[in-house]
Amino acid sequence: MTATKIAPSKVSASRSRAIREALLAYGLLSPALLLFLGFTVFPLIFGLVISLYNWRTGPTDFIGLANYARALQPDSEMWRALGATVAYSLLSVPIQLFIALVLAYLLFQKIRGKSFFRVALFLPYVTSTVASAAVWARLYSPDIGVINQVLHFFGIQPLQWLLEDKGIFTMIASGLGVTLPAGVTGPSLALVSIVIYTTWVFVGYDMTIFLAGLGNIPAELYEVAKIDGAGGWALFRHITLPLLSPTTFFLSLITIIGTFKAFNHIWVMTRGDNGTTTASILIYRQLYEFQRAGYAAALAFMLFTVILIVTILQNRVAGRQVNY
Amino acid sequence: MNFRKLVPFTVAAAIALAACGTATPTAAPTSAPAATAAPAATTAPAATAAPEATATTAATSAPAAAQVSNPPKTADEVDSMDLTGKNVQVLFWHRYSGSSISKVMEIVNDFNTKNPYGITVKLEQAGANYQDVYNKINAAIQGGGDLPALTIAYQNQAATYRGQNVMVDLTPFIQSKKYGLSADDLKDFYPYFLKSDKAPQFNNEILGWPTQRSMEVLYSNLDWLKQLGATEPPKTLKEFEDLACKASDKAKGTYGWIWKNDASDFASLVFAYGGELMKPDGSAYDFNNQAAVDALTTIQRMFKNGCAVELPKSEAYGEQNRFANGKLLFVTSSSSGLPYYASTINKVDKPFQWTITMHPQADPASPKVDLYGASWSVLKTTPEQELGAWLFMKFFTEKDNTAAWATTSNYMVVRQSAAQTAIDNVKASKSFAKFPEAAAAYGDLYKWIQYGAVEAPVAGYDPVRSLIQDMVTKVGVKGDGDPKAALDEAVKQANDLLAEFAPKK
Repeated sequence: MTATKIAPSKVSASRSRAIREALLAYGLLSPALLLFLGFTVFPLIFGLVISLYNWRTGPTDFIGLANYARALQPDSEMWRALGATVAYSLLSVPIQLFIALVLAYLLFQKIRGKSFFRVALFLPYVTSTVASAAVWARLYSPDIGVINQVLHFFGIQPLQWLLEDKGIFTMIASGLGVTLPAGVTGPSLALVSIVIYTTWVFVGYDMTIFLAGLGNIPAELYEVAKIDGAGGWALFRHITLPLLSPTTFFLSLITIIGTFKAFNHIWVMTRGDNGTTTASILIYRQLYEFQRAGYAAALAFMLFTVILIVTILQNRVAGRQVNY
Repeated sequence: MNFRKLVPFTVAAAIALAACGTATPTAAPTSAPAATAAPAATTAPAATAAPEATATTAATSAPAAAQVSNPPKTADEVDSMDLTGKNVQVLFWHRYSGSSISKVMEIVNDFNTKNPYGITVKLEQAGANYQDVYNKINAAIQGGGDLPALTIAYQNQAATYRGQNVMVDLTPFIQSKKYGLSADDLKDFYPYFLKSDKAPQFNNEILGWPTQRSMEVLYSNLDWLKQLGATEPPKTLKEFEDLACKASDKAKGTYGWIWKNDASDFASLVFAYGGELMKPDGSAYDFNNQAAVDALTTIQRMFKNGCAVELPKSEAYGEQNRFANGKLLFVTSSSSGLPYYASTINKVDKPFQWTITMHPQADPASPKVDLYGASWSVLKTTPEQELGAWLFMKFFTEKDNTAAWATTSNYMVVRQSAAQTAIDNVKASKSFAKFPEAAAAYGDLYKWIQYGAVEAPVAGYDPVRSLIQDMVTKVGVKGDGDPKAALDEAVKQANDLLAEFAPKK
């Protein structure tokens, strides 16, 4: 083996060029890096520090993991909040995605006025959440709301909607003269009312993403399948659904994360009353009403952990079903 | 980046920071106190004495060129200050809007022009309501940011700030010979209003200055009452409940009364039954007394009998629209809502006669009414700014200014000498032209001050209010539970919160 001798001046020039390039790279990266460190990493670490203290409007005592232990107590409000959050997610996500998929499939066909329908369905998503939630809350109002007036017109007993803390299973069973045990009351009508609103808001966005996904499926596949005698359902079942799976996976991921973080519309509509205290609402109330910054920070980290676990599980389980 | 490597690094950094945090002392005041050790705030000597009694005695001691603590601890320290030529700026975080802010700005401009010290007051809207301002102040304390010299706060909120050592006791300013109030001036203020700003948890330090007050009253639709055969609004709780039930018709969507998720509505009912929310010394909540049980039972019975309706939390001031549209016979609410009720009822197709009266009582011979109102409080900045803030509050509550402010806002004036002017102005107001009875009733408020009761001027009352609201909604509105058991549990939780928010020794 022969060693090629490189002149020292060449080594030095090469090194200095590498340093210059590295400096340039770091220089170009630094604005984004500083923003990331300042507004993401630092608050994250600081939040973790706060969660280890009995922190009200400032640090008082270092209490280690006591805030986490408190949240994990069997009778802690966190469990109820997590239960409401999971119920909200389990109700919202499938309904939302199913309706969005049906609408996208319909509006992907050659039908008249499809541009109008696409815009109309997307509008709720771009409307201010606070404003639209306030309007929906007024529609739900038991004594002056339009929804109960319509029910009354058809001779149906008015409902308490956002003011109802009874579970829907209990309400349905009670209508049938059956009494359900305490454990199977179901989500409150107030939570279901919020799910209806959430569906109205987000279905347009989900539909738009599904439309993009549908546009990416090669038309030849449908043509070939049709030549082979496939019908509408078979086309949907064996071509559309599998090839749309990356889109469905993406949407289910962001929708689940969204439902776990949901706050604005719930706060506007119920302030967390009647079985609608989700994790975000609980964190907000602990911080602003009870001024327990340390405990609220601990709850926030626990919510983050739950979302992380759910996302990882989703990746592992649902990710296998995705056809890229 | 390798995530697995990042996690231990982040945790290690957090623990290191946490360890550093234990050694970090609480934030020092921005301006160090003078070398002369001032007595601790909780043991301020003059705090327990009423301002009336001490104002004249303080006037005899000549101001010395003493070093000034922050905040000043004695009237002499305040007297020794000279603001001339110092261009003192006073930032005021408030929540006013509409015609109210126009009037406040007018008085601010007047003060900025006329005051001989060159003090400039700057207004900054810190939110749409008291809760917003409270959150913003707390966030500023937490973040170590600059606090305004002046803010608006309920007594319990001021006590919460005081617990964080950012609140100024006004006693030395009031007693100051040079900048304070004379004995005659102090006598002109309604004594109850001054008393209500004394913080029982902090040796009766004066943590706010009353610039406005209002009272929980009964709004009644007089035309509707006549149809029901009543010649006047109810004076007793029994009459109130009977009329409310008579007016209610679920099919028509009409109700006698509305629960608007307001702890003050419940407190008023407890007071009306002769009870209280907490012990007068602020040492414990006791709203599981018989009066509170009677109050909660009344609400429970009214809902069970379909005589009342619940207002969704999403509908702020929804009770006003319902009242104006003939859907509600009675509303129990703040007297400061008068102009809003007048304005809303003026706009409906069929305006009607209405008025306010004293909240119905179990025993009208010994009434008790909920008298409340946010005060203006001075936060710890610099002694000069604190003095500037005090001088502005003093100016704002001069006779003409308090009358003008009350006329615009329909709050009550804080000086007895200004009451008649405000009463005459409200009577002459265009908004009340169609509602002479309501306009005349504004004057009655001043007769009822003597029956005033305070809810709970202690730190941490805000979450207790939420607790009360949730409890009333659950047990009273939804009929879910026994009133006494629910009140016992709520009082236990409230006292836990009292201990949690109590000043640390």
